[in-house]
Amino acid sequence: MKVENHVLEILQLYEFAMAIGKSLDYKENCDSFLKLILKRKSLNAAWVLESHNNVLTSTYALPFGNDIKSDNKEVLEKLNKIEKNSIVETTDLISSIAPITISTGKTIIFNLNDQGFLFLYSKKDNIKSKDLIQLEPVMQKFAMHLKACRAFKEQKQLLHNLEVQNHELSDYAHMVSHDLKSPLRSIDALTSWLKEDYEELLNDAGKNQINTIRSSVEKMDTLINGILEYSTIGKTNVEIFNVDLNLLIDEILIMIQIPDNIEIEKSILPVIKGDKYRLQQLFQNLISNSIAYNDKEKGKIEIGVEDKGQFLEFYVKDNGKGIEEKYFEKIFKTFQKLENNQKSTGIGLSVVKKIIDLYGGNIWLTSQLGRGTCFYFTLKKEPNGKA
Amino acid sequence: MLVTSTNYNEIVKKILNHVEQNAALISIGEHTEIDIFHLIDELNKTEIKFMGGLFPKVIHGNSILDKGIVVNTLNNMESMFLIKNISSKEYSIPEVSFEDNVDYSILTYVDGLTSNISHYLSELYENYGMQTNYFGGGAGSLSLEQKPCVFCNEGVFMDAAVFGVLSMSSKIGVRHGWNKVEGPFIITKAQGNVIKEINWKNPFEVYKGVVEAHSGKTFNDENFFDIAKGYPFGIIKDGAECIVRDPLMVNENKELVCVGELEDNTLVDILNGNEESLVAAAKEAALDSINQATNPRKAIIIDCISRILFLENNFDKELNAIISTLKNQFSNVSVGGALTIGEISSYGEGFLEFYNKTVVVGLFE
Repeated sequence: MKVENHVLEILQLYEFAMAIGKSLDYKENCDSFLKLILKRKSLNAAWVLESHNNVLTSTYALPFGNDIKSDNKEVLEKLNKIEKNSIVETTDLISSIAPITISTGKTIIFNLNDQGFLFLYSKKDNIKSKDLIQLEPVMQKFAMHLKACRAFKEQKQLLHNLEVQNHELSDYAHMVSHDLKSPLRSIDALTSWLKEDYEELLNDAGKNQINTIRSSVEKMDTLINGILEYSTIGKTNVEIFNVDLNLLIDEILIMIQIPDNIEIEKSILPVIKGDKYRLQQLFQNLISNSIAYNDKEKGKIEIGVEDKGQFLEFYVKDNGKGIEEKYFEKIFKTFQKLENNQKSTGIGLSVVKKIIDLYGGNIWLTSQLGRGTCFYFTLKKEPNGKA
Repeated sequence: MLVTSTNYNEIVKKILNHVEQNAALISIGEHTEIDIFHLIDELNKTEIKFMGGLFPKVIHGNSILDKGIVVNTLNNMESMFLIKNISSKEYSIPEVSFEDNVDYSILTYVDGLTSNISHYLSELYENYGMQTNYFGGGAGSLSLEQKPCVFCNEGVFMDAAVFGVLSMSSKIGVRHGWNKVEGPFIITKAQGNVIKEINWKNPFEVYKGVVEAHSGKTFNDENFFDIAKGYPFGIIKDGAECIVRDPLMVNENKELVCVGELEDNTLVDILNGNEESLVAAAKEAALDSINQATNPRKAIIIDCISRILFLENNFDKELNAIISTLKNQFSNVSVGGALTIGEISSYGEGFLEFYNKTVVVGLFE
């Protein structure tokens, strides 16, 4: 009979242990474990109190009852003296930290360390020291899972905050861009009228200054458009189509007008699944960069691809100025330019990186100063539906 | 009070005369030849507040009836609620304010053939806790076909529960009389009311091995319930009677379908009982309630329909044991009740549970 009871106790412990960790929600986790204990041991109530800055606060109660918030030092001192667990008679002190009205019976208190104190209450005094011994091994697991639930909740909250911030940032970029464009258009129109209406009165220096103003306005317009483009990548769901990259590159080369001294060498490129507009932005920005920073009499740009299983690895290689290694990371950050080129906005490579990130790929480069740069990037063969 | 008339005016008149200004608890035998919707319309033409259920059989005094309406007066009814969508858990339990130093009892009838009844009971306890006693049972048809079976002033519903909060003291006895044959076993996999694995093995194979050895009978395609009705499972509790789960049938995957839910990793024994143990338990339930009561006005018996299926003609002995024990102590107490599909109460005012194959005796003061 003794062996049989021992086996039963172990199996009960198994049942209790398996009820822990079924959910990462704090309440659900407590429900699953504590309701089982209440049922199996015919107990009446369970609650958890946590101590922060010497204030005890209830984080779970079954039945619900009243919220507990107590700064009673005597209670806290007594609780802190409990090393692992204790059985206590119902006293005024215990009643004062119970969510429900209790006046008789006994309570088991388990010290859950960082996770506070667990109280199991029996109105009928049916709590024995064997219950303490039996439940002690599972309490550590319970406390660990409470900690995991908290961490999960914090992570979820953090993700939610990030999402909200991202959204706000995107809205902000839209709003700012729109508001900035309006005065720009006015400046552009006014300087254009100034130049036309006062052409006779302006000397060459005046005309040059007006041209400089208009050129700056144009530059700022490009910059604002760049910010807008950057902020909208990944925000909209798009339909994925087969895109023939050979045709796409040909279209880009016609559009951006290749200088006579630049030779483009393109290997046969695949048809990939994606959003044509984003893929065009990606290749166009890389090719335009290679052209803009090519100082050679006979410039050369090579475009190619290698199949890497789940990914396609592309490269855009030039024989231009090259980039110092210390700038390899910096160039992908927004508004980062390596030289004060009036035509550059500092957004092109940021847009490229953001698009590649979205396709679940990577971008990196190798470069030698004075000899040229090769940008490598991977794209997933099956991208998600955002671009 | 028992009403056997099928004339609606007469039924309404008798109910009104019986309960006067109070609310009514109405338990109706499923074969009663009335249209329940019509009866509710007629009752709603009066001022009466009522709740009730349709049951396989009803109890009035010493009689067990397929047909008939048993009416109990619900004195001091504070509030009455209807909870729909029990199976989907999409409901909330209304707030009730309980006064200190007043005894309360909640009487509830739930569709006994719906799922997630344990969740409903858990929600009740979470919200009201130890401020009240709980008492009730599962309504429905013995055909096990789910249909509208609980009712109140708002109509007749399935997948629903009704409950009334009474400022009235109740003394409850709960017993079953089923004893361990073999165990413990671990229900290693369960889903709702289906046992999918016992000790990581096919549940029917494990169950069959134990039951055939004990009973000397052999399961075939047609006799599962005939044998299984004497061999329920018992969910093991520490220092208290186990909670019985009634195996109803074997499904196509050789899994055991029970009345009432089980959860993964539940520890169970396989139980068996006989006329003697069941009748003795029924008497004990009556004694348990008597020992707590001082001046009860009425007794309500909630007894599982599967006990009558097991005891058959000897069920009279069980009912007589309860009635004679009650009358012996409180000769004027009126007795009514129902044979239910699952019983509701709490052992020692603790967490609320849904029982099978159990008898619950409530004395209301």
